[in-house]
Amino acid sequence: MMHESSAILPPTVGWALLAAFSVLWIALGFYWGRRNKNFEDHALAGRNIGLALGSATAAATWITSNTTMLAPQFALQLGVWGMLAYSTAAFGLILFAPMAARIRKLMPEGYTSGDFFRLRYGRVSWAIFLVFTLFYSLTWLVSMAMAGGIMLNALSGIPYGWGMSVILGVCVLYTMRGGLAAVIGTDFIQSLIIIVGIVIVGFAVLSHVSMEEIHGNLSAERPALLDVLFPAAIMAIFNNMLFGLGEVFHNNVWWSRAFAFRKGVGPKAFALGGLIWFPVPIAAGFIALASGALDVPIPASDMVGPLVISEVLGEAGAIAIFVIVFCSLASSIDSLLAATSDLVTEDIYRRMIRPAASQHNLKTVAQYVTLGLGVLTWAVCLPRIGTLATVLFFAGPLVGAMIWPIVTGLYWRRANSAGAVGGMLIGAGVGLACYFAIGWYVATLIATAVSMIWVLACASFSKSRYDWANLKESA
Amino acid sequence: MTFSAPFMTILVYGALIWCAISAIALGSILVRDIMRGEAW
Repeated sequence: MMHESSAILPPTVGWALLAAFSVLWIALGFYWGRRNKNFEDHALAGRNIGLALGSATAAATWITSNTTMLAPQFALQLGVWGMLAYSTAAFGLILFAPMAARIRKLMPEGYTSGDFFRLRYGRVSWAIFLVFTLFYSLTWLVSMAMAGGIMLNALSGIPYGWGMSVILGVCVLYTMRGGLAAVIGTDFIQSLIIIVGIVIVGFAVLSHVSMEEIHGNLSAERPALLDVLFPAAIMAIFNNMLFGLGEVFHNNVWWSRAFAFRKGVGPKAFALGGLIWFPVPIAAGFIALASGALDVPIPASDMVGPLVISEVLGEAGAIAIFVIVFCSLASSIDSLLAATSDLVTEDIYRRMIRPAASQHNLKTVAQYVTLGLGVLTWAVCLPRIGTLATVLFFAGPLVGAMIWPIVTGLYWRRANSAGAVGGMLIGAGVGLACYFAIGWYVATLIATAVSMIWVLACASFSKSRYDWANLKESA
Repeated sequence: MTFSAPFMTILVYGALIWCAISAIALGSILVRDIMRGEAW
């Protein structure tokens, strides 16, 4: 654990910032939550989100603490390709844009990505999907909350348990009360803070060191980081891109937004969100490459961004990075809480336990599920297990194996249940075997390829033709 | 073969300017949406 003396910001300043932003998010969540009369309002913000809020929430949710903290680490380890590899995750949002229009057209009254699997492929496929997506979402949620505690501790010396509890508690409170409207509203403010913060910090660093000096230092000290043919970095591009595609295509975080955006807004909002997100890993990542030219010692590569910024810009820089990281964490944790709680409420409570539940009852259940997810996440995070990044990579084959069942299921009438079930199980199985036999960097790629072959083979031999009208299930 | 200094300069300044334009665009679209009553 980092001690107060080695943190880059005094704990009192950290606590003051934490308190100020916590009060702001909770107040906004309660204010926007007044609009929610039923489950549809709570889960989908009345299905009426406009372009500005839609684009901002797509970008902000995708800017996690990984984007602002791991992008510099990627740059430090994989060089220029590392930043570019990270940026390819934007293709997930951009390619989801046409799918969002298709989803809204085929399922005008849908609620979750689970609805799609249940109606399109049947209950077996739906069950496998729920296991995969809940495992992935809970792992992501736990890793974000844990990252929150670790980063607040490293940045300001706030004890891990307190930092993690506060950031998680704040997100649970405003998501519970305000639902998706609160998540999207706060996402807009958080996205602006993050982007403007990155621009200010980036130009401030460049006022202390030129790109020629950074390039000169790298050429002399670490030439591999400038290598155009850096094999590990080029492999990372494919793995990162496919992980991004699988995550966006299957997760209810993105499907709930496709249902929530006003008709016609989804494609533009996701495309714009992807374009907004694309330069962020480069703008945040290059700071790591400047560490050598600035002569900043880096004892831990995952703290390279904050260390360089605080060294160059002093306390103002440390405050900026604290706020950027806090907003990045909140914008992802709230979205995961909301989307996972909707998935549990719609797919498990309503479809398996109480089909006749009223809209009001569903809204109450969704609020309690959000609280339950928060408590569960908190209990898992409290012991501070440090291995969740590995578990998240472990989920790569699971999300990669879901890409083809979703894409073919949305566009091909001949895509069938055998293809979806086999594609997910065989793809994930082979991908996981490769994860252990070869390494994480090929697992998602192989899972996606195997799943693709199985799904396409089943579709080509299929004689059945799906009736799209079956997806227009009334709520 | 290595990435050159001019390439890195364009990449980094381009990314920072792109971010700045994104922030301005988001703010402008929100104002337009609010004026039209289409924010949400």
